[in-house]
Amino acid sequence: MFCDKAMELIRELHRAPEGQLPAFNEDGLRQVLEEMKALYEQNQSDVNEAKSGGRSDLIPTIKFRHCSLLRNRRCTVAYLYDRLLRIRALRWEYGSVLPNALRFHMAAEEMEWFNNYKRSLATYMRSLGGDEGLDITQDMKPPKSLYIEVRCLKDYGEFEVDDGTSVLLKKNSQHFLPRWKCEQLIRQGVLEHILS
Amino acid sequence: MFVSDFRKEFYEVVQSQRVLLFVASDVDALCACKILQALFQCDHVQYTLVPVSGWQELETAFLEHKEQFHYFILINCGANVDLLDILQPDEDTIFFVCDTHRPVNVVNVYNDTQIKLLIKQDDDLEVPAYEDIFRDEEEDEEHSGNDSDGSEPSEKRTRLEEEIVEQTMRRRQRREWEARSGSGSEPVAAALEKSSRLFPGPMSDRTAPRSPRRDILFDYEQYEYHGTSSAMVMFELAWMLSKDLNDMLWWAIVGLTDQWVQDKITQMKYVTDVGVLQRHVSRHNHRNEDEENTLSVDCTRISFEYDLRLVLYQHWSLHDSLCNTSYTAARFKLWSVHGQKRLQEFLADMGLPLKQVKQKFQAMDISLKENLREMIEESANKFGMKDMRVQTFSIHFGFKHKFLASDVVFATMSLMESPEKDGSGTDHFIQALDSLSRSNLDKLYHGLELAKKQLRATQQTIASCLCTNLVISQGPFLYCSLMEGTPDVMLFSRPASLSLLSKHLLKSFVCSTKNRRCKLLPLVMAAPLSVEHGTVTVVGIPPETDSSDRKNFFGRAFEKAAESTSSRMLHNHFDLSVIELKAEDRSKFLDALISLLS
Repeated sequence: MFCDKAMELIRELHRAPEGQLPAFNEDGLRQVLEEMKALYEQNQSDVNEAKSGGRSDLIPTIKFRHCSLLRNRRCTVAYLYDRLLRIRALRWEYGSVLPNALRFHMAAEEMEWFNNYKRSLATYMRSLGGDEGLDITQDMKPPKSLYIEVRCLKDYGEFEVDDGTSVLLKKNSQHFLPRWKCEQLIRQGVLEHILS
Repeated sequence: MFVSDFRKEFYEVVQSQRVLLFVASDVDALCACKILQALFQCDHVQYTLVPVSGWQELETAFLEHKEQFHYFILINCGANVDLLDILQPDEDTIFFVCDTHRPVNVVNVYNDTQIKLLIKQDDDLEVPAYEDIFRDEEEDEEHSGNDSDGSEPSEKRTRLEEEIVEQTMRRRQRREWEARSGSGSEPVAAALEKSSRLFPGPMSDRTAPRSPRRDILFDYEQYEYHGTSSAMVMFELAWMLSKDLNDMLWWAIVGLTDQWVQDKITQMKYVTDVGVLQRHVSRHNHRNEDEENTLSVDCTRISFEYDLRLVLYQHWSLHDSLCNTSYTAARFKLWSVHGQKRLQEFLADMGLPLKQVKQKFQAMDISLKENLREMIEESANKFGMKDMRVQTFSIHFGFKHKFLASDVVFATMSLMESPEKDGSGTDHFIQALDSLSRSNLDKLYHGLELAKKQLRATQQTIASCLCTNLVISQGPFLYCSLMEGTPDVMLFSRPASLSLLSKHLLKSFVCSTKNRRCKLLPLVMAAPLSVEHGTVTVVGIPPETDSSDRKNFFGRAFEKAAESTSSRMLHNHFDLSVIELKAEDRSKFLDALISLLS
């Protein structure tokens, strides 16, 4: 049946939970594009035949193939766009440096798009708060306190605090640190916020 | 030196700094730590909390963190040894020590710059005067032509400080040399080096003949005991800052009750401290009595109770609680059939049907629960148990949750010492620390279940020890050793559980034996610690008398016995009367101990 492979692409993305980026399915995309090419060529030859040979009974077939082509296009564009949205969310989740595992899941063009997005976000942030700019990726929810209590879940090593000194993050040690320093590490799962 | 004004000299100093908290693994330290954490969070003091369970962990953690912090706070560790010698800190590091262990080491007392003791000075310390200990240094020197009476105190002090600096340099060099040469050595051998360096008291260091200075120091350091609970000290600090809350008061109560449960303080001191806390309780909780302005049911209320000393009785059945409280189990002699019959007589005397008594306490008939305390006290008097009721406190919030202070102590202690090996020792510490917060009630209930298991195991072990006559008199002390195949023996490899077991065993033994001399003997108890390393934990308990002052001499005794037989011993715990010993050296160690004490 036509458009099956395009449906596969969509289903794969639908299965991945919110926020996760599955690997770029280059194979599947190539197959869909091939199918579209085959359909287009068949349609071309049929149109020529219909026009010259006057065979109007080919017109429903041509219409059907045209609908399949449109459907394939819609599915692939939806696939690519949804991936871009997920990649954009990654910037807000992980910061400007992505973990290696995620980088392998992205195609080269997606990487380029990501870099461009980073750049425009950075330019915007710099333009905001006077001279120094404002980091809007922090404090996504309004904070309740300046300092939070965190517990270390794994051995991380030394972690630098604002005044230049460093803190050694060892498993099961608890720390009371400024909120903005800890947010990154909480998202990465190294620290755990304790609400007492 | 002792800190006189806690607010100015301690709190305001650390308020603008980042500090590192070293917290020992016992319930009193946990409570003090929670109070201090609450204060620090209120004032945005950046701190790091590191749990430590022994000297080795303290040293390793200190080495890791010493580059990053200048101010260290030690809770329930470090007062009874020479801190500067063990940790070898830099010049500008400052230690604040809040510890219940006594006697406080004299170097810690008389060091003016680096060690600040958060201990109240009227706490029956009996520290020897400076002149008594440090004057004899000059008399040992060659040119004692200058009469030491005539020289200025400042000269003496500079000479003393030079000597201390010299000693520190020598020890530092020795340690470096050993580190370079013996880095791959077996841990126990290295630990033996450390243990001999740990207590370089007058005995092992000098070969000079005995002098009055040595006698004074020996008398001072001979007995080990405990002072005011650290949680209470921290609560007083909070009160001075006017930042005390009901929650902090509850933690102070739990800290004090922990000292009473583990028999660390005398009955008099406990009653005095309860009086102090009762004033605070009425100050914070007076709105409960007022009919019009009562608080909502969910608010914390603490109240003073003159309640039964049966452990966990409100969370268990009355029968189970009577069987597993050491006080009643020892007096009834519940390991014998005769004892079981007496228990049934006791219950019949009060008119409590067996079926009711074996049910969960909350499910007992209301009519029976109404005058339960008075009934039990009366009947207990008839059976020879005069102290059935004890002054304590209870907390309750919500409709369901009511706890006595001793319940919380047992729950937290079981959480901290549970033998499950799923995590490192610090995992249990974190769990126990969490269970003290009101929002983690599920952990507290889990702790209560573990405590029930622990208490049952304790009583069964005691029963089997007494029935099989495992407690033998060795002359100057009693000795009992738990074999490896004993059920639940892994529960007793941790120090606090083993100490509790030993104390209960001694009480039961005293009640069971007819030999009058044996009733006054102390007890030494051994339990297997680790099968791979072949080590046992040995605990020494002072003799059981009604008016004992809870002073324990086993710390020094163990050390000397190990030295004289060169047994491989590790003094890892902050309590000096608990040691780890290699199983092979056990017999010669015991022989040395016998000859030492007789």
